[in-house]
Amino acid sequence: MKITCLKEDLEKAVSNTERITGKNLNLPVLKGILINVNKSIVLSSTNLDLGIEIEISGKVEKEGRVVIEGGILNSLLSNIQTNKNLTLELKSNNLFITGENIKITLSTLPSNEFPLIPKPKKGKSIKIKANLFTNGLKSVWSSASNSTIKPELSSVYIYPNGEQVIFVATDSFRLSEKKILFNNIVNFEPILIPVKNVVEIIRNLEDTTGDVEIIFEENQISFIYKKQFLTSRIINGAFPDYKQIIPKEFNTEIISLKEDVINSLKQSNVLSDKFNQIIFSVFPSKKTLTIKSQNEKGENISRVEASLNGDDIEIGFNYRYIIDAFQPISSDSVSFSLTGPGRPMVIKGVSDGSFIYVVMPMNK
Amino acid sequence: MDSQQLWDSALIEIELSISRANFKTWFKDTFVSKQEDGVVYVSVPSEFVKGWLQDKFHKLILKTLRLTSDKVRSVEYIVSKERPVSQKIGGTLGALGKIELPLDNFYVNKKDNLNLRYDFDSFVVGPFNELAHAAAQAVLKNPGSSYNPLFVYGQTGVGKTHLIQAIGNKIKDLYPNKNVYYLTSEKFAVEYTNSIQANTTNSFKEKYRKYDVLIMDDIQFFSSKEKTQEELFHLFNSIYEKRGQILFSSDRHPNFIPGLEERLKSRFAQGMIVDISPPDHESKAVIIKKKSGQSNFIIPDDIVEYLAVSVEGSVRELEGILNSIICQAQLKNKTPSLNDVRGLIKNNIKPKKMVPIESIVKTVANYYNIEPENVYKKTRKKEIVKPRQMVMYILREDYNMPYPTIGQKLGGRDHTTVIHSYEKIKRELKEGSILIQEVDQLRSML
Repeated sequence: MKITCLKEDLEKAVSNTERITGKNLNLPVLKGILINVNKSIVLSSTNLDLGIEIEISGKVEKEGRVVIEGGILNSLLSNIQTNKNLTLELKSNNLFITGENIKITLSTLPSNEFPLIPKPKKGKSIKIKANLFTNGLKSVWSSASNSTIKPELSSVYIYPNGEQVIFVATDSFRLSEKKILFNNIVNFEPILIPVKNVVEIIRNLEDTTGDVEIIFEENQISFIYKKQFLTSRIINGAFPDYKQIIPKEFNTEIISLKEDVINSLKQSNVLSDKFNQIIFSVFPSKKTLTIKSQNEKGENISRVEASLNGDDIEIGFNYRYIIDAFQPISSDSVSFSLTGPGRPMVIKGVSDGSFIYVVMPMNK
Repeated sequence: MDSQQLWDSALIEIELSISRANFKTWFKDTFVSKQEDGVVYVSVPSEFVKGWLQDKFHKLILKTLRLTSDKVRSVEYIVSKERPVSQKIGGTLGALGKIELPLDNFYVNKKDNLNLRYDFDSFVVGPFNELAHAAAQAVLKNPGSSYNPLFVYGQTGVGKTHLIQAIGNKIKDLYPNKNVYYLTSEKFAVEYTNSIQANTTNSFKEKYRKYDVLIMDDIQFFSSKEKTQEELFHLFNSIYEKRGQILFSSDRHPNFIPGLEERLKSRFAQGMIVDISPPDHESKAVIIKKKSGQSNFIIPDDIVEYLAVSVEGSVRELEGILNSIICQAQLKNKTPSLNDVRGLIKNNIKPKKMVPIESIVKTVANYYNIEPENVYKKTRKKEIVKPRQMVMYILREDYNMPYPTIGQKLGGRDHTTVIHSYEKIKRELKEGSILIQEVDQLRSML
């Protein structure tokens, strides 16, 4: 194998593939990046959960394939200062990287042990704007559970609804739902993508402008965009019937500026107890909203300007669960709707019906 | 042959013919979901595994399956929707949730004799074994250098085997290049005598010296096997020299294993000797919760408490009782009440230990070489008085018997005599006389 390519192209492809290499796996070859040269130059890696292939441009002098440990290749390339061409050549099981002032020799991993990245065969495919899809994922993934006990909760649930695609995630303490409008009817079977993989999918799709082709299969979901191919395992499970837990009628409503609430919350969190408890005191009768917290170091009470409606209530929440709600909300003012003690609170952007966040209060 | 057996025996064959890393990566969580007209359907966890098995291992799998069963014509791979659910309990469980049995727990690894079921995740750490656990962690960090050898002793069923096997399994994970081997001392002795008979002692020596980590269980069976002990001694030295880790377990401290050679004792003492005592109540409660959690079965807190307090003895016994509770619950399809549990385990609870006065007297008398009946007599000879006081001390200290009762049982003595004897021995023990050793030895004999 012998190729010459731009260092910048190679570096970017290596850093994207390196993230997906298998860490802590038994098979050493999974730590590697496969460079497969066969008319085109394709880098691939997999952790047996996700697989990625990135094609880079370059001059092919001799075809072949080689597997190099990803971590080493990545740190080498990110420290090489030159921006000129690099030549990669495989000679007697060693990879020689040469360029201006550079001569690197790397030992290789057995390339015949490198797994195949499963390619989609049949399956429904849709073409949509990549940034819309990542926006959906980004809005909800932080609500997914970190624990692996219930795989369906450590996933993002995606299903079509007419012209919308709906993204949902919950860890049973809070839930996020985001509706993305695609302007044409989309149709596929509902799927669950493991949240670990969602993070990587977002990272890879994020800087893609334009369309991404998504292929849905029984066990895999694949993304094809530009010269990249990304495929992820999906979870075979049933997402809980979440719609029934979203309250429809409310007893107390708060509308306030997002910035004001976030600042008060952050300030209160400094003095919150070890459960990060923050208490909302909502008194429409006195027209006051205060956010309180206290621990052995002190106490914080901050008043927030807000328009209030309904019954008086005092209710505590976990700061960490509340604060995740705001990032996906784009509008300036937010509404908090309460149904009573021990019942969930709904957070929404005032002019934005596409995102909804439901959070359970804490037991006193 | 059912699918499970077919696949299990095939896996054992396959494991021998490919590398360990390959086996663990590609055959983990696989199982045979069905067999139809000679086609075996192998369920695999993901599309990646499917592609790879098809591409690289198809021939091997087909060949091995055919060797095991001549009915097999072809193999298909499917990505499974569900993991295998234990057939015994799966169906009836309903509301109590499904029980998963990951496949790789089913068998003992032929190459190193380790049972994969023993790992640190299922090992409950409590005050009773935290020292042993800490020592194990130190060994894992630096196999061969920190505590070498590690000698774990304790009563039966407290988790010695679990701990040393867990160390073995973890070392395999952390240091895939290390050659780990587990065996019982009895097996070692038998193999050694066989090798003498067959005149193959040299290959026997070779075989064991190549291991980097040697785990030997139930060392106490070596007592009075002089030749085997000598062999162990040499083996120990050669592994130790090349900085291999050695782990032993026994049911008592090496100093109290009768007929163990002095040089072995001192070798054992040069590393770390830790004991695992029977679990305390709190630890028992944690163990019950953990074990029932592994079976996806939730036992109400009051029952956990009741079991922890009333079940005496080893963890193994506790597991047995737990299994019978879970089994009953599944049969009736409801969580058992405290009363049900009482009824269930009434046969498992040992009656409060009867104090075996006579056997204590006999053992103590034998230890000091006197006639047992002398203990009961009113003689005040010095060589009789000391054993008698020792009996009183042990009865009071270990069996918590009331002073008057002790006096009455030992030839109608006044309770003040007993108190005096007890205090005297206790005082002497504090002063650290040779008595400490004697008491320890007596205790281990009782």
